[in-house]
Amino acid sequence: MKDKVIHNVPGIITPSAGDTSLPGMVKLGNGVPVYLVGNGTVDLLRVEFNFRAGQIMEDVHLAASTANAMLTEGTLNHDAASINDLIDSTGAALNHLADKDTAGLITVTLARKLDEVMALAAEVLFSPSFPENEFRMLTDRRVQAFRTGRQRTSVIAREAFYEALCGSDNPYGRITTESDYRSLTTTDLRQFHERHYQPGNMYITVAGREPEQALPVLERYFGHAGSNEWVQPEFPSLFFESSQPGMIFREVASPVQSTVRMGWKGITRTHPDYQALQVATMILGGYFGSRLMRNIREDKGYTYGIHAVAGAFRDIGYITLMTDVANEYRDAALNEIRKEIESLMHHEAGEDEMTLVRNHMMGEIARMFDGPFSVAEAMKGVIDYEAGADYYTRLAETVRTITPSTIRKIFQSYFSPDETYIIIAGTK
Amino acid sequence: MIRFERHKLANGMRVLVHRDEGTPMVTVNILYDAGSRDEYPGSTGFAHLFEHLMFGGTTAVPVFDIPVMMAGGENNAFTSNDITNYFITLPANNLETALWLEADRMRGLDLNEERLSNQKSVVTEEFRQRYLNQPYGDLMLLLRPLAYQVHPYRWPAIGMDISHIEKADLASARRFYDRYYNPSNAILSIAGRVNPDDMFALAEKWFGNIPGGTTDSRSLPAEPLQDKRRELTVYRQVPAAHLLMAYHTGPRSSRDFYILDLMTDILAGCDSARFPSLLVRQKELFSDADIYLSGDADPGLVIFSGRLRDGTDIRMAEEAVTAELNRIIEESVTPAELDKARNRYESHRLMSYLSAANKAFNIAYHEVLGDAEGINTEKEQYMSVTAGEITEASRKTFRTENSNIIHYLPEQR
Repeated sequence: MKDKVIHNVPGIITPSAGDTSLPGMVKLGNGVPVYLVGNGTVDLLRVEFNFRAGQIMEDVHLAASTANAMLTEGTLNHDAASINDLIDSTGAALNHLADKDTAGLITVTLARKLDEVMALAAEVLFSPSFPENEFRMLTDRRVQAFRTGRQRTSVIAREAFYEALCGSDNPYGRITTESDYRSLTTTDLRQFHERHYQPGNMYITVAGREPEQALPVLERYFGHAGSNEWVQPEFPSLFFESSQPGMIFREVASPVQSTVRMGWKGITRTHPDYQALQVATMILGGYFGSRLMRNIREDKGYTYGIHAVAGAFRDIGYITLMTDVANEYRDAALNEIRKEIESLMHHEAGEDEMTLVRNHMMGEIARMFDGPFSVAEAMKGVIDYEAGADYYTRLAETVRTITPSTIRKIFQSYFSPDETYIIIAGTK
Repeated sequence: MIRFERHKLANGMRVLVHRDEGTPMVTVNILYDAGSRDEYPGSTGFAHLFEHLMFGGTTAVPVFDIPVMMAGGENNAFTSNDITNYFITLPANNLETALWLEADRMRGLDLNEERLSNQKSVVTEEFRQRYLNQPYGDLMLLLRPLAYQVHPYRWPAIGMDISHIEKADLASARRFYDRYYNPSNAILSIAGRVNPDDMFALAEKWFGNIPGGTTDSRSLPAEPLQDKRRELTVYRQVPAAHLLMAYHTGPRSSRDFYILDLMTDILAGCDSARFPSLLVRQKELFSDADIYLSGDADPGLVIFSGRLRDGTDIRMAEEAVTAELNRIIEESVTPAELDKARNRYESHRLMSYLSAANKAFNIAYHEVLGDAEGINTEKEQYMSVTAGEITEASRKTFRTENSNIIHYLPEQR
């Protein structure tokens, strides 16, 4: 038998968010903004190249992500095999970045290999050749991955939600089919690339120890002027033809579990309620202490996990929660989720819960600013969506001061039962 | 170089401290030398289920996560075939909260029926979500019992079957806790802006008076030398066939581990490696083709794993992989390939240094393997690998009679 506790419980110091300021920015000779995030402790540099070249910009479905994937499949000077060999020989990681609104590359390299890696990054970003054979093989691989995704309840449910929220005629809501992959051509990719992968359409973030050391190298490879004829494409004005909220069922031949997803229309990052909505969603399902996690997982054992998130693309916000549950628990889980939302609409959260969520979120913000690589990631959304240099400072302030009555109002405004999409992907 | 200092408490608990100036956070990592290899064949998945019970609370702390979140921290855990690892990362000024919580649940976990029954249900859903409800999710569930006949690596950490989890009882949980969750079976490592001597004093304060527990060394049945190729064919509802080929190799601490780890990087570590360029791009047999080490403490496996392209015959695919494995025996790897693998190792090593949490875990992990100093000496192990050693280790490993093959095929419609 082990003895009982003998020491006093240590006191907890209320966590603070720490320094949440946006890093400094300088411009290359051609005006490309470069954000510098310092204070690294190892000799690695993370350099991100971010273009206004996401899904939102495509005229042809899949052009944005495919053009991005094809960057490393051959350039005017090197075929796919040699470009990959050159990159891999440096030891650097070169990751593709293809989001709804932006696209580009993230490289992580030993500081001493920076010059080589930047030369290669410039080559793949600005002179890809989109060879037919590599394109055909890439398409085959993507089709196969797509078919595997068709068997995942979580993938089907996610797609159904964004289609319902944004409308199927919209780049955020469009449903992909196999024929979309098959009808895409290298001409589509070349056109997309030429229009969007231009110096005038990009910014760079350098993170690590002494990020300034990268500036002369970046100037050399990225400081050149773009084409005179190029005019920066405007973001399109999107039209959102949302379907009526309600129940959506998607049949998936899945033997053991269903994915349950609920969703609502949200708000974009510049909306005055955005920060408060972050706190409200956290209370509902954003962390291990959330209402949903405590009830559906820790109390009822219906699921391994349940998560809620409020986010935003450029022109539309979303709120969504999701869980994978055994088919026999599906209805019970849905009822409990509804009850938790009702409760937050009608009752104010207690002070204990408020303190818990405040402290948890402060710790989370502090961790987002722990080290230059994390800061670079945290800053991406702020830069891309012009959310304001003080975005995280305002978030921390909201977390500190938000009242239970504001939280309740947020639930009343944004989580209305009449406005809820309920998506179930699984077997009947 | 990761500098750390060590101290052993009188009850046998090892304490390792790494000072990292670059973070306002601190990670408290506690590794228990208990994994799924310590389970009985009829109750597999138990170590992992027990990991869930460790968050069930004590008399002093009814819900483990609440003080962690109050302190602005995050915490998690994982269970492997060899170990169970818990960590809390929190602002450095709340460090003592983490030590208190870990000591508290090591001293007096509240094991009760309600908690057990609830976590059995959660783990059952985890089993379904991660292994049964995913296309290809059961590959490892199939491979382990094929490759191992007697060693407990024949089941995965999640367990052999959901029915084992349903059977778990409170008496076994108490026995497991008493046997493994003791200071003498634990390694505490701390990384962050902390002073080692202060940490040793705090470790003494919080853990010093917990009884050490027994430390009888484990004696697991050694897997007999495999003398015949094994093959299993299964049919599943998947869009494309998958090929697994696994070969027995040495323990994590052997020289062969480093040699073969570097070799697998040359074969499949990056886009320009041999498998992606030859099997995926040139011959178009696979849509992806990977090879990696299981990295287990006891003798583990080298595993080839590849998804076939439509129309590729699985026998032909297997022959192509075997031909490449033979080629690495017959022709040595080139200096350029070795050089690339070393550069890649160096940057991966630095990337793993970016996180104090990662360093804390790795220090503890090397300690349980034999010596925490391994976190530093392994660089030399990797850098000194020669082409000759790769040939030799490959010859020893890639033999037909040492192979375990799974043909995972789409159901005929």
